[in-house]
Amino acid sequence: MAADPSPAPTSLSFPRSTFAKLTPGPFLHAHLKQNPPIRPSGRTLTQFREQQITTGSLTHSHGSAVVRLGDTTVVCSVQGEILKAADIPSPPDESADNEDLLETLGLLVPNIELSTGCSPAHLPGNPPSTLAQSLSWKVRTLLYGSEIVNPEDLQIMFTAPKIDEEDDAPVPEVKAYWTLYLDIMFISLDGNPFDAAWLAVMAALRTTRLPRASWDADREAVVCSPALEHYAHLTLHTTPVTATFAVFSTANPLKQRSEAESWVLTDPDTSEEEVCREALTVTVDGKRVLGIDKAGGRVIGMEAVEECVKLTFARWKEVSTILP
Amino acid sequence: MPLDTSTYSLARLRLDGRRAHELRRLSASLHTQAAADGSAYFEQGNTKVICTVAGPSESKRRGGANSSEQNQDATVEVEVNFAGFSGTDRRKRARGDKRTAELAHTISSAFTSTLLLHLYPHSTITLTLHVLSQSGSLLATCLNASTLALIDAGIPMLAPLAAVTVATTAAYADNEEEADVLLDVNEQEEVELPFLTIAGTGEGEGVRVLVLESRVQMGRLEGMIAVGLEGARRVRGVLDGIVREHGERVLEGKVG
Repeated sequence: MAADPSPAPTSLSFPRSTFAKLTPGPFLHAHLKQNPPIRPSGRTLTQFREQQITTGSLTHSHGSAVVRLGDTTVVCSVQGEILKAADIPSPPDESADNEDLLETLGLLVPNIELSTGCSPAHLPGNPPSTLAQSLSWKVRTLLYGSEIVNPEDLQIMFTAPKIDEEDDAPVPEVKAYWTLYLDIMFISLDGNPFDAAWLAVMAALRTTRLPRASWDADREAVVCSPALEHYAHLTLHTTPVTATFAVFSTANPLKQRSEAESWVLTDPDTSEEEVCREALTVTVDGKRVLGIDKAGGRVIGMEAVEECVKLTFARWKEVSTILP
Repeated sequence: MPLDTSTYSLARLRLDGRRAHELRRLSASLHTQAAADGSAYFEQGNTKVICTVAGPSESKRRGGANSSEQNQDATVEVEVNFAGFSGTDRRKRARGDKRTAELAHTISSAFTSTLLLHLYPHSTITLTLHVLSQSGSLLATCLNASTLALIDAGIPMLAPLAAVTVATTAAYADNEEEADVLLDVNEQEEVELPFLTIAGTGEGEGVRVLVLESRVQMGRLEGMIAVGLEGARRVRGVLDGIVREHGERVLEGKVG
């Protein structure tokens, strides 16, 4: 841990690590009270943890990424599978203005696996916890809502050849779709799982290469070309970037509300998450805000939300340059 | 068929360019998860496994009525999870899958006889294995990863368990002279050739684990076991080196 930058107002009679374990709230408060405020890990209030992105380590997947955000490590793998149009029970209307086509067909399937022993709170062998399920749902909502992939990019078309000269020009029809399964597995968790998971999803999608697929009319099946030069990257239309903030507040039902102090911490780790009762996640892309997610808490007001959105735009600039 | 073609007998090179007795690249890191009592990440070629150890912890089973008659030693529980992206087909294995249960049982019995379980009466040691990528020699990789994780957890054992797979090339009796024993089989070789997994503790201590599920000629068996034990001894040397290197880094204060 980083050493204290300035002496504490009162001297402690027990070591720093004991203080952190016994009373984590006052421990964090003691750091934030300093001028300028600092966090126990040595970061400033608006500093993200250092991230490391490695892509292409999984041999069986079409795309993969391992992302480390501080001590949170997550693996994301993208695997494409073929869904034949004939197998869809009630084919949806495929006209161009059907925005929900991707979601109706379920062509992007994320799944978050937290029960891997990544932290003492997530022991292996358990069914998915509420946190895992809600994270999966958030990733799914962001994937569909940000329109990062268009249905046309995942379609496998077939144009029947003209038999007679008098026939009309053959209309290309969709014979199958690519379904992308995104498996996100946490190897270690030290706070802020959503940002790490989304960063891994972005890195994996940007390095995903799908084989060239075509419809074989004689075999009535989709055939993929095994040649490496025929593998193509996915076309991604947006680059959503997320940022999570936690709020530490000394507000207490026994004290006056005006006496309470609060600080907004960017990219919280586990020790900070445990003592913060309020959190905010902002998702942006370029100049647009794609989502703001907040559930509960009374500290953050309009100015704080605007400040967080500004910080997320700054983060977008940083992340969009380092993504592969 | 990677080996039936004449290229093998001409150049004696396997499909991935290895010779008969060459191991794949082994690499590992210890203490990958600070939250677990012991953890290790082990790669044998493209087969990648993470193992975490929890325990020894209080056992939740049995009442105390006749515990003096029953075995008081600790028990080893093993759970194996396959990540959806581990194989060529994305398949989520059902939780009660018999193949997975057999794998877990083999690993559990292997360590029950190797760990000094009498030191932790009435406790449970839980091993959880996550398979990230399968490319042949799964049981061997799981055993090696478990050994490293147990060493990281500090659970005493008689000797580290090192495992390896061996296969034999010629599948029919006519080709006796052509038969070669291949060490450390990968995915394609596992499908085509009879192979077995063998684990020993090295130093001539005998066979700890032996699993053979394909038909093989009687005369080949002795040769395969001999090469397998020699290979296990070499793997044990590699595991030893990994643990020593980790120990040096701990002493230098680079690892928590």
